Amino acid sequence: MTERNDADLRDRFHVLRREDAATAPRFDATLAAARARAAAPARRRARWLAVATVLVAGVALVLLVMRPDRRGRTIGLASVRWNGPTDFLLVLPGDELLRTVPNVGRMRPSILPGLPGAGFTTTDSDRRTP
Amino acid sequence: MSPEALELELARLHPAAFGWAIACCPGDRAAAEDALQASYLKILDGRARFAGRASFRTWLFAVVRNTAAELRRRAAWRRLLPLAALGDPPDGRPDAATVLARADGTRRLVAALATLPRRQREVLHLVFYQDLTITEAADVAGVSLGTARTHYERGKAALRKLLKEDRK
Repeated sequence: MTERNDADLRDRFHVLRREDAATAPRFDATLAAARARAAAPARRRARWLAVATVLVAGVALVLLVMRPDRRGRTIGLASVRWNGPTDFLLVLPGDELLRTVPNVGRMRPSILPGLPGAGFTTTDSDRRTP
Repeated sequence: MSPEALELELARLHPAAFGWAIACCPGDRAAAEDALQASYLKILDGRARFAGRASFRTWLFAVVRNTAAELRRRAAWRRLLPLAALGDPPDGRPDAATVLARADGTRRLVAALATLPRRQREVLHLVFYQDLTITEAADVAGVSLGTARTHYERGKAALRKLLKEDRK
């Protein structure tokens, strides 16, 4: 931590600085290289574009190969039944009554010959009469 | 600052900037030259502007440091991608010409510095090689004064120890 030690370190670094300065490229050359570098960004960009294209094409190919085969699969249309969400609106209240003919209250004498009152015919309206 | 004045300032500080670029890219002289060229380009085409908040030298060193870090990151990404072989990846060791050009003592110093953490190495370089104050070194390294002081003290102690061990 002494001054002498710091001076020793400083001296070592100054020797390093002199050596670096002796091997440093000239400023003009560095500047010219920098300007040449600026003139060729298109080539670098093209290289990166090529890399990106190769990567994207690779990923697309892998996805295509890994995709499940859809061509071999068939859909049996006969087994498909689709119900619309508003189908219930088509069912009217009492729809059953409209589609079928009720057959109540009429007795046929031919099937009940031995009963009293056979041959007597009644209708719904008769029964409902008090 | 006019472009002519900028060029004059850059020419004046070129040797120091080159030394700093080498410190930012240890063991890779080509990367240091790349970083320096890219920094000059940034400055001359206005992507990096000197606002006058610090001295021109401090600002230039900060630009070089940030540019070297950018190039390092880009090189790391490039190594992950295919076609990485298009560029020569640095192996982290100084090139033969640089090693031969160095005196024995300097070679030991460079080897010892290479083992220090980056921040410590940067602060020591800025203070001892570039003769900046610790405050200026903190500005360049983008850390607080206290942090720079800690890096300076720890780095100095570690470097002394390494050099002493090397002498034995």
